[in-house]
Amino acid sequence: MKTALSRRHALGLVAAAATLRVAAPARAASAGDARAFVSSFGQHLIAIVNSDHSLADKKVAILPLLQEHVDMDAMGRYWRVATPEQQTRFLALFHQILVNSITDKIGDYRGVTFTIGNVASSGPDQAVDTVISRPEQPAFNAQWIVSFSSGKPMVVDVMAEGPSLRLTTRQDYASFLGRHNGSIDALLHALDHQVQAHAAP
Amino acid sequence: MRAVTGSNLQPSRSCTPARRPRRITRLFAGLGLAALAGCAAPPPKDPDALAEYREANDPYESLNRKMYDVSMTLDKYSMRPVAKAYVWAVPYRVRQSLGNMVQTMNEPVVFFNDVGAGRPRRAGDAFVRWCINMVAGVGGLVDVAKYAGYPHHDNDAGLTLATWGVPSGPYLFMPMLGPSSIRDGIGYGIDTGLQPFNYVPRGYGLLTFNWAYNIMGMINGRADHLDALDQLQKDALDPYATIRSAYQQQRKAQAEAIRNDHRATVPDWYN
Repeated sequence: MKTALSRRHALGLVAAAATLRVAAPARAASAGDARAFVSSFGQHLIAIVNSDHSLADKKVAILPLLQEHVDMDAMGRYWRVATPEQQTRFLALFHQILVNSITDKIGDYRGVTFTIGNVASSGPDQAVDTVISRPEQPAFNAQWIVSFSSGKPMVVDVMAEGPSLRLTTRQDYASFLGRHNGSIDALLHALDHQVQAHAAP
Repeated sequence: MRAVTGSNLQPSRSCTPARRPRRITRLFAGLGLAALAGCAAPPPKDPDALAEYREANDPYESLNRKMYDVSMTLDKYSMRPVAKAYVWAVPYRVRQSLGNMVQTMNEPVVFFNDVGAGRPRRAGDAFVRWCINMVAGVGGLVDVAKYAGYPHHDNDAGLTLATWGVPSGPYLFMPMLGPSSIRDGIGYGIDTGLQPFNYVPRGYGLLTFNWAYNIMGMINGRADHLDALDQLQKDALDPYATIRSAYQQQRKAQAEAIRNDHRATVPDWYN
């Protein structure tokens, strides 16, 4: 079955997440800005992953990186009908799920590296190609979609050799909501359950 | 589960008169289509929900979900434990070599499809890969071609049809074969016909090899996706929808990559 998405996405996120700290100031988006942003975000994330800290500590360190620099529209049309409280809760849970997803895939590795390739325009955003390598594992390509619309660079999507994390997640959640009468509370409950289950030994 | 790059088993030719079986096949095909048509859910009225329904392109969702559940249950008690045991018993490098062999044996199918898609440079790559790996790579066990500058690329008849502009048709989840579509399902059948192995006279050695190769290819293919599939089933709220989305996007991206490959067939130094 061709469903390599989760590992690749998570690895991609790792690379993207590491770049977030040194965000470029608000100005017209350019390929150079996007490259610098992904490079910086990637370095930060990889530094955390390659460190000698425990997995729990790594998770704590990665979370603020994602909160600050990832803005992924994973809820689609349901975002508009969610209350502000539900939106806040959703974002908190979603970031936690992203962190878990990243650490599941590369948290235990040492010597993860990434290289930046082409940068191209993707609609109003910039698409930055990266190759992520882990020891003893096949390298994979991840493309980071960086948006400057909010004034500072944000990762709005990660494409791992085809599938978009944003679209896949959105369709996952939309399908779940469609089967639960569109109840945002049911979605939040399920996400919460997922995070709790992940924390359990 | 579908062996990603493996060939497909072809039942031995029967000597019974062809007419009756063909009629029966047609009857079953007709019944199958009628069953599919009966399973199609009516599209929703709400514009947002309708957009989502169209994006999913899955009018036979209820039937597909049943197929998914059956496949996953079967997988849980058959392929998954076998694949886990295989990973436990066979070292990574050996598994990688066997994966290389499965991939090399499938290169002729890639080659024919590259030709069909009108991409001579890609066809040349697939041809050279097969020649190099079969000789220098000891029957495909070592992917020497990759180091010689000819990395593997995917192609199959579903993608060739896509480059011809054939739409995917509704999504299908095929039992034990995994995610597919009407077009890709037809492509799967065409690929079976394109695999030269299936035309070599059936000596006992070859028959044994073909069985071993196909079974090994299936186990190896499943083993490659052990972690990814486990993760997906743990992380997704609706694994069925997640697999559907990822599959559809991946097929679109693969077809796009073939369409956008305009490399010249002359060597780079000639330009």
